Amino acid sequence: MTTVFKDTIAAISTAPGPAGIAILRLSGPDSLAIADSVVRCSGPPPSQRAGGTFLHGRVVHGEEEIDEAVVLIFRAPHSYTREDVVEIQGHGGQAAAQRILQTVLAVGARPADPGEFTRRAFLNGRIDLVQAEAVADLIRARSDRAAAAAVEQLEGRLSTQLNALYDHLMAAVADLEASLDFEEGELPPSVLTQTDAQLAAAEEEIQLLLATWQEGHLLRDGARVVIAGQPNVGKSTLMNRLLGRDRSIVTHLPGTTRDTIEESLILGGIPMRLIDTAGLRDTSCLVEQQGVTRASISIDQADLVLYLIDASQPVSVEAHTTLSRLAPKTTLLVQSKVDLVKEIPEPPDHRYEIVTCSASSEDGVKSVRDALFARLGQMDTPPHAVISERHRTLLQLAQACMVEARQLASEDEALLVPAADLLRSALDHLGSITGRTYTSELLDAIFSRFCIGK
Amino acid sequence: MNYDIIIVGAGHAGCEAALAAARMGMQTALITMQPDKAANMPCNPSIGGIAKSHLVFELDALGGEMARNTDMTGIQFRVLNTRKGPAVQANRAQCDKQAYNSRMCAVLANTRHLEIIKGNVVDIDIQDSAVTAVIMKDGQHIPAKSVVICAGTSLRGSIHIGEETTPGGGGDLPAANQLGLNLHSRGFRTARLKTGTPPRLHKDSIDYDRLVIQPGVEPPPFFSCTVKKLSPMFHVEHPPTDADLLSMFHVEHRNPRVDHTQTRCAGSTPNNQQPTTNSQAVSSDLDVERWMLDVGCSHFPPELMPWQPGGDQMPCHLGHTTEETHRIIRENLNRSSLYGGQISGTGVRYCPSVEDKIVKFPDKPQHHVFVEPEGRSTDLVYPNGISNSLPRDVQREMVRSIPGLEEAVIVEWAYAIEYDFVDPTQLTHTLESKSIEGLFLAGQVNGTTGYEEAAAQGFMAGVNAALKVQGEAPFVLRRDEAYIGVLIDDLVTKGTDEPYRMFTSRAEHRLLLRQDNARFRLWEHAVRLGIVDSELVVETERFASDIEREKQRIETTRHGGSTLLHALRQRGMTYAALEGRQADLDPVVAEQVEIWARYAGYIEREQKEVAKRRGMEDVAIPDGIDYRAIDPLRLEAREKLDRIRPETLGQALRIPGITPADISVLMVIVGRRGTTTESTEDVRVASTNGMRT
Repeated sequence: MTTVFKDTIAAISTAPGPAGIAILRLSGPDSLAIADSVVRCSGPPPSQRAGGTFLHGRVVHGEEEIDEAVVLIFRAPHSYTREDVVEIQGHGGQAAAQRILQTVLAVGARPADPGEFTRRAFLNGRIDLVQAEAVADLIRARSDRAAAAAVEQLEGRLSTQLNALYDHLMAAVADLEASLDFEEGELPPSVLTQTDAQLAAAEEEIQLLLATWQEGHLLRDGARVVIAGQPNVGKSTLMNRLLGRDRSIVTHLPGTTRDTIEESLILGGIPMRLIDTAGLRDTSCLVEQQGVTRASISIDQADLVLYLIDASQPVSVEAHTTLSRLAPKTTLLVQSKVDLVKEIPEPPDHRYEIVTCSASSEDGVKSVRDALFARLGQMDTPPHAVISERHRTLLQLAQACMVEARQLASEDEALLVPAADLLRSALDHLGSITGRTYTSELLDAIFSRFCIGK
Repeated sequence: MNYDIIIVGAGHAGCEAALAAARMGMQTALITMQPDKAANMPCNPSIGGIAKSHLVFELDALGGEMARNTDMTGIQFRVLNTRKGPAVQANRAQCDKQAYNSRMCAVLANTRHLEIIKGNVVDIDIQDSAVTAVIMKDGQHIPAKSVVICAGTSLRGSIHIGEETTPGGGGDLPAANQLGLNLHSRGFRTARLKTGTPPRLHKDSIDYDRLVIQPGVEPPPFFSCTVKKLSPMFHVEHPPTDADLLSMFHVEHRNPRVDHTQTRCAGSTPNNQQPTTNSQAVSSDLDVERWMLDVGCSHFPPELMPWQPGGDQMPCHLGHTTEETHRIIRENLNRSSLYGGQISGTGVRYCPSVEDKIVKFPDKPQHHVFVEPEGRSTDLVYPNGISNSLPRDVQREMVRSIPGLEEAVIVEWAYAIEYDFVDPTQLTHTLESKSIEGLFLAGQVNGTTGYEEAAAQGFMAGVNAALKVQGEAPFVLRRDEAYIGVLIDDLVTKGTDEPYRMFTSRAEHRLLLRQDNARFRLWEHAVRLGIVDSELVVETERFASDIEREKQRIETTRHGGSTLLHALRQRGMTYAALEGRQADLDPVVAEQVEIWARYAGYIEREQKEVAKRRGMEDVAIPDGIDYRAIDPLRLEAREKLDRIRPETLGQALRIPGITPADISVLMVIVGRRGTTTESTEDVRVASTNGMRT
């Protein structure tokens, strides 16, 4: 059997959404070595263990412990892909799985493309003939979807930024390559000094793009939706209704919820983190004070606040003051307990979108669900371009190449070739995002910039 | 007479093809319309330059003639890119145009198994999709097992000077219109390309005081191992006596052979064909193979060594155009063939005509003009940089607006040439036609430009034609082995829509493909082909082991607290200046050790890259896949794959317009064909695993 693939891929194999465990899968020649460097366990390291066994250990990133995990060892060819495969079953759910992914990427794995494990499975002869046919169609479908997504992105802002970055880097590379491929007399003398400035500018652009990764959490982890309000306005009841189960303890006593409670929820396909908070009030109870402080922090970090006011009670001055500090753009004003009143009172402030709810029945929270869905649907489009996990990895690789290339180029003219080769790798990484290829564009770039040739 | 191989055309591709095939023992005929114009240089008589020089070194390492011919007839030698590291360093030599041509004629005329036939090939004979003969203008068929067409720019060539258009093949050679039309009718896709050349000036009509002199380099940097090996002899204080020479070489081994030129030609040529008609044919006791292939010999016939190689170099001179030059060109643009509408073919971007430079870069106030000699015994000089297709009166006015050329006498007019080239994606990596077995195409006919690019293809086509006749496996160089590999893979995979010239940036692994290590990286191939002189092969092997030994020594030997390797790594350090060096180490070995010390880390990284890519490169795509029937492929991908018929997945990925998603689908097909047996157990497990990704 020939192993075609020399690199090792990684992906979270479990579906997104709340779950007790999440599985990260590694496949490729370095799987076991990567496992060795991220898993601490008693007894022999993963690479010293037999295929078909598992071990219990801790996943670490450097010194930092990330998760407790069960690690399954599959040795080639007895694995799904017929390569060495390691599965890391984390106990911390999705967020921890993301961090495990980051960790294995940092030590040499590459994020898997859609369908890539299966592609390896059949290329390595794992899947029989009939299945191979089916998989070809599957890949076709996947790549078409990917193509559609790529087109969407191409029209989008991220793409504009990435293409601008690519162009700037390409211009610098064209200058550098021209200085290698043509005699000195044929080029303007300033070529190489310009190159360094161009590279510095491109590095800054990469930095800006990388910064958007944090802000891309809406797409990756879901929006943070915080349920807030005075004590005993029905926050926990609403939380349980939205989750469809009793998660928060509900009593008629004000101040029952003293800590923030956080749960994942997917509503109409939109992922979110739903956070129930302690009722906001001045209190002498130290524990409740802590809860109130946490609630305030949660509100500050929220992408959307569901601010509850009790429709059966007059709105307190305190409640009014809190409300007025919330931005209408990121707030839904929820009048709760409307089943207790004959006539819904006039809302205290008309700048906010208002929904009513009666959390005592399933139907009573429908309007809240609808409003949430509508709001988050709009929010799903982030305020500016953000990059995905894959983009981030590729941008970081490109950045590392550029930093080293600049250093070599400035160190010694005799190192211009290795520098140019690094920049070529940087362009290859960026090209994996934008779908552009280096070789077809380089000569065009050179000849559009210089009058070269005798 | 039955030939194994017939070469059509005696340009730089044809000469290398003919010599390679004959030297591999094939009965070879080289058919040309003008035998005395072999290896003619219709443009600048210069060989080498950045990336082109790499091709020449590789040819020399494999057994080509171009490097030796250049070294023996060069009148100025230079090294380019000296400060930018060994990977892009390049030699360039200005040759004596006439000597280059006549020396090549002498080599051809005195090569065993090679016959030169004067004639005009107009067609090829094909039976069962295989070539069987070439057809001459008079209708005669000359049979051969393989045919290599090296038609250069002659296929339907037309020469443009201003509004005037005349048929011609360039460099005063006739056009080959019938062959061009017949190839087209045999189903070859062809298109038009354009190139051009500047006027030639009389050397005595130039005011050299107004130009900047550019001398050659001493000692002259040679291309060929042969001349490098000989050169220490040239640099003795006094001219060597015969006794010196005799003691230097192993004359006792020399074994003068009987005249085989005459026995070979007598009665062995076909009817109506003139036997070898080389006007410069050399004395018949000259054993060229012995001379060329065994460096040891006692005398140097002037036909093969017209002067001491590298001796008495001639300078070039540098001038520049002026605003006035540009005004003249601008005002007469509509009278140029290029801008007047006569020319439709695509030109060369990196070797633009002066009209193109003025139009495309209007802000540049002046352009370089290099005044370069065409030879020792000619009155012509070549003003490099003012190639054009302007009418004669404008050419004269334009030339005379250049400082130093005010009184210049134009001896030959500048012209543009338009010609047919054959889309090279119709060829395999051996340069054999995909549709007609035994038919090879090489050189400028494949859409390239440059003598070096042509020679490289000619050599590879000649070698592969020979291997085919011998029933041996083909000889293909990978992209990570040689620029020749990059050149041919680019041509047959991507095709070209402008004259293709080699650049270092076309190669993925420049640090590995240096001109200094050509003989080492291609050594095993040279052994296989058996063309290179065995003495040189042994020398290369010896150098290689010396290099390894010295690497180990400097890694482990300490001097003044650090290893010699550490000391040699310091910037600006050379082996010659290294304390603790081996004084008697051959400079070739020292050079390799020095480069290794400096670049080892980068070279290792490059080798890892190569290994990574090798995965895809090594997955062969089986023959006979019906791409049109693979539904999951996009229509565009189906068409392109069907047309190019890539040989590996790596090549498929390089086809313009083929996406990684297409490759995924292709992998299924290849993987499926690759797995013939599956145990039932595996199938069962696979199905339970389902399609999860």
